[in-house]
Amino acid sequence: MLEILNQEPIRFILAFGATIFLVLNLAAILTMAERKVAGYIQMRYGPNRVGPRGLLQPAADVFKLFTKENLAPTKADLWTFLIAPIAMFLPAALVWIVIPFAPGAVIADLNVAIVFFLAITSISSLGIIMAGYGSRSNFSLLGALRGAAQIVSYEVPMILSLLGVIMLTGSLSLVDMVSNQAGGFWNWHFISQFPMFLVFYIAGLAEVQRVPFDLAEGESEIVGGFQIEYSGMTWGLIQAAEFAAMGVISAVAATVFLGGWQPPLPFLDLGQFNFIWLGLKVSLIIFTFQLIRWSLPRFRMDQLMDLGWKILVPICVAWIFVTAAAMLVF
Amino acid sequence: MLSEEHVKGETALSGRASARLTAPDVRTEFGLETLDMNMGPQHPAMHGLLRLVLELDGETVVRCDPIMGYLHRCQEKIAENRMYPAVIPLTDRLDYFANMHMEHGYVLAVEDMLDVEIPPRAEAIRVLMCELMRIASHTPSIGFLMLELGAFTPILYSFRERERIQTIFEAVTGARMMFHYIRLGGVKADLPPDIPEKIWEYIEDLESNFQRDFVDLIEGNEIFIARTRGVGRITPEKALEMGLTGPPLRCTGVDMDLRRDYPYSWYPNVDFDVITDEGGDVEASYRVRIKEILQSIRIIKQVLENLPEGEVMADMGRRIRPAEGEGFGRVESPRGEFAVHVVSDGSDTPYRVHYRDPSFVNMQLLQEIIPGHYLPDIMPIMGLIDPVSGGWDK
Repeated sequence: MLEILNQEPIRFILAFGATIFLVLNLAAILTMAERKVAGYIQMRYGPNRVGPRGLLQPAADVFKLFTKENLAPTKADLWTFLIAPIAMFLPAALVWIVIPFAPGAVIADLNVAIVFFLAITSISSLGIIMAGYGSRSNFSLLGALRGAAQIVSYEVPMILSLLGVIMLTGSLSLVDMVSNQAGGFWNWHFISQFPMFLVFYIAGLAEVQRVPFDLAEGESEIVGGFQIEYSGMTWGLIQAAEFAAMGVISAVAATVFLGGWQPPLPFLDLGQFNFIWLGLKVSLIIFTFQLIRWSLPRFRMDQLMDLGWKILVPICVAWIFVTAAAMLVF
Repeated sequence: MLSEEHVKGETALSGRASARLTAPDVRTEFGLETLDMNMGPQHPAMHGLLRLVLELDGETVVRCDPIMGYLHRCQEKIAENRMYPAVIPLTDRLDYFANMHMEHGYVLAVEDMLDVEIPPRAEAIRVLMCELMRIASHTPSIGFLMLELGAFTPILYSFRERERIQTIFEAVTGARMMFHYIRLGGVKADLPPDIPEKIWEYIEDLESNFQRDFVDLIEGNEIFIARTRGVGRITPEKALEMGLTGPPLRCTGVDMDLRRDYPYSWYPNVDFDVITDEGGDVEASYRVRIKEILQSIRIIKQVLENLPEGEVMADMGRRIRPAEGEGFGRVESPRGEFAVHVVSDGSDTPYRVHYRDPSFVNMQLLQEIIPGHYLPDIMPIMGLIDPVSGGWDK
């Protein structure tokens, strides 16, 4: 019986179903964490009424969103409008299939996992354009244009920042990258590739459209941007997509630069339970995202482009040369 | 559509020079047009109900027409039908972030027509309340500026300060916002006995966390500097020409403050500095507000140290009927000069009341300096002026 579950198509379907389940739950947990962190930064408690210590708040939120009517503007391009949230959510969920959770525990061990990750996350900008265009609203359109320009621009430093690690590993597979960092935290890539790690972190923030790069949303100027016309669960899906994307970027950052599931010290190896280390690293990165979210103001479009093209890209190119020279020498 | 000189490329945009319009040849080649957009009246960054009709070329604003009147309540007309003391609660509704100053301005105008001696203790309490009100208005101004730049947290810190001041006001006046406390001839009631001590306590708390919560958190932030420096820059000549008052005027370097230049009430007896700054941009207005809060603290301390004893209400008689004539009163509200002109025909209701509200006058700036800025720059410029809906619409 259990043998069947391990047959290839069935194993993949089951694993992918489990991933989607994980991603949806992750989004729910992250909304809760976000509100709690915000609460403590802002001298309040955050949600603490529903369930023990407010832990059931996400369930209540989702229930509320499901009971709300999905409104669409009269002039909206209905198909584009309705498919957009899915086009935003699916890429964020798909990337999880190449993340190694523990030794041997990866849904699809692609030998081009990094390329897969970069290709899939680019699709989310399509979702933003669809949402902005389909809504037929000036505010949505402005938000969509900003979002698309931003994601396309920050793809470049993001790809460049991964090149150093690819050179060191000699492989595009995430599994190889994790095994290349075995043996303690001094072997993790973020030490030799520290500038690249920072660039990836910043570009990742921009990629998932979080403060200070949330120009597409810009709630104080274009009032939500591309998501302004959404309501009910379609809006909920956009939110879930944003949180899932945040989880994905953190997971990739943890895998590529912070050793993935590798324990920080060799004797802390937990075998199959090493996914706990990955979870801790992802949580840490997400926590810093949240601290930034609630303390910084937003960039302006021209400043965002300046940062991306004039600072991040040159840093990456310079460090690629440094890495190459170091590899040649040692 | 773009006006003639914009199409020719000889841009006459008065705003910042760094923002560029699409070059005319590019526009002709691709048949590009500008986008007309309504911002408001229901918009989170519009400080109430303001509608901006914008013409956008990409992210650059080409034209900005502010349209107001969505909160008009005929304050001046209603005042003509009510007896003199009964207008005071209405003035509370003018600038609802600086109610005390609104009351004070109206009361000064009516007292100008009456031959009445205000007890010194009442004058001191008025100044005390007005300066507390200034802190309670400037801190949210800074918070709103940050909120409009996208940082959500400072607004909660500033509302913590406002909340504590409102608690003091509640103990003194019985209301948290609509006080009806400054009356013709004095103030409604003396301070409760424990209030001076509570104000001391509050002032000390504010001083101890002021640097951390309002200066280091905000001014120490590179993004804040990048978003505000050079944005909405006005020259002193332009500011005077447009009749700006308050922080938007003082941030350009013009040294003018009614409290010092035309002293009223208890202000001749206290010592304070008038804050000016050279920048004339959003960052300068933020610095002016920060330093004015510190000056307000200084005034409050002086008033509390030398609070005169005695009555708080002059004997005015039951009905107030000023002789035929005119009265004028003006105060330095947190947003600028608030002036009231009252005309009496000898009856017990005013013949005509006119409010000169700083929010209304300072808003002229929008049309003048927004063109040429980027769309997200509108929000910090609103923060520079910091108008209040109840003020500009009366």
